[in-house]
Amino acid sequence: MRFRPPVPVSLTLNLAPMVDVMMCLIIFFLLAGRLLDEQFLPLELAAARQARPADRRDVGRLVVNVRPGPAGRAEYVVTRWDGRRIVPQALGADELAAWVRQRSEELRRLGHDPWCMVRADRAVRYADVERVLRACGLAGLPRVVFGTAAAEDD
Amino acid sequence: MRRRLPASAEVVPNLAPMVDIIIVILVFFMLGASLTLAREGVLATDLDPRSGPGAGVAVEIIPAVKIALADVDDGRDCRVLLMGRPLAGGLAELARRLEERHAAGADPTAPVVLAAEAPVRWEFVVQAMDAAIGAGFRNVQFAVALPGAKQTAE
Repeated sequence: MRFRPPVPVSLTLNLAPMVDVMMCLIIFFLLAGRLLDEQFLPLELAAARQARPADRRDVGRLVVNVRPGPAGRAEYVVTRWDGRRIVPQALGADELAAWVRQRSEELRRLGHDPWCMVRADRAVRYADVERVLRACGLAGLPRVVFGTAAAEDD
Repeated sequence: MRRRLPASAEVVPNLAPMVDIIIVILVFFMLGASLTLAREGVLATDLDPRSGPGAGVAVEIIPAVKIALADVDDGRDCRVLLMGRPLAGGLAELARRLEERHAAGADPTAPVVLAAEAPVRWEFVVQAMDAAIGAGFRNVQFAVALPGAKQTAE
């Protein structure tokens, strides 16, 4: 009986499933990261060349969006968690100060140092944004940043 | 014994993994592109630390530079005043004058107070703040009107 050596079998690694799973994981984390931006309403922000990148991961921030509302009045839009999802909530001028004070007290109780980000549409009046500054001052928030769009280079 | 040659078989690559990965890559780039379309930044300001829940008690700041914006044509344009003097060149001249001040040795940490009339568009205020920061002044503060007081650019 002639003994024949076994035929060598070439082993090839199929990389397609691995790349597929990796891309799905990346897409998952991209979508999860976008949920953190739910507080940022689409607005036409004023452009600024000296703007520095925003730190969106800081949990101690309050975000107030200011946009033109009906009858020439500005709307102050904040977000809240309703138990299932993040929903926008439009506040009037009277409710704004109370909301800023309440949120800053909540954040201080949780051990955070609260600060405020104001994202105002370029078309609103200075008086509308000043109202937010006054509310922040009364709530004891010394640090305020203004969201701006990146200016186009000439 | 006659050996028969095996019937030639068509070698067709399995396209399913390739199509799968291409679709995943398409979704990845669609999500990634939408995240980079809007580039946002922030301009920071610090409210006076003496402000706080004091029922709107006036806090006086002695500014090194005082910028005022007056409303022109109901928000369509604005007049710029630097240390009480109007600038014919508007915001462009403001940037140049502030750079001259900084080059002449003005303290970059001294407060620059920005005041604007209520109807002034927010984008003009941001441009003025941008000019001050671009000229090297880091401590830009806002003059917030007390409730009931009429804000004038002086």
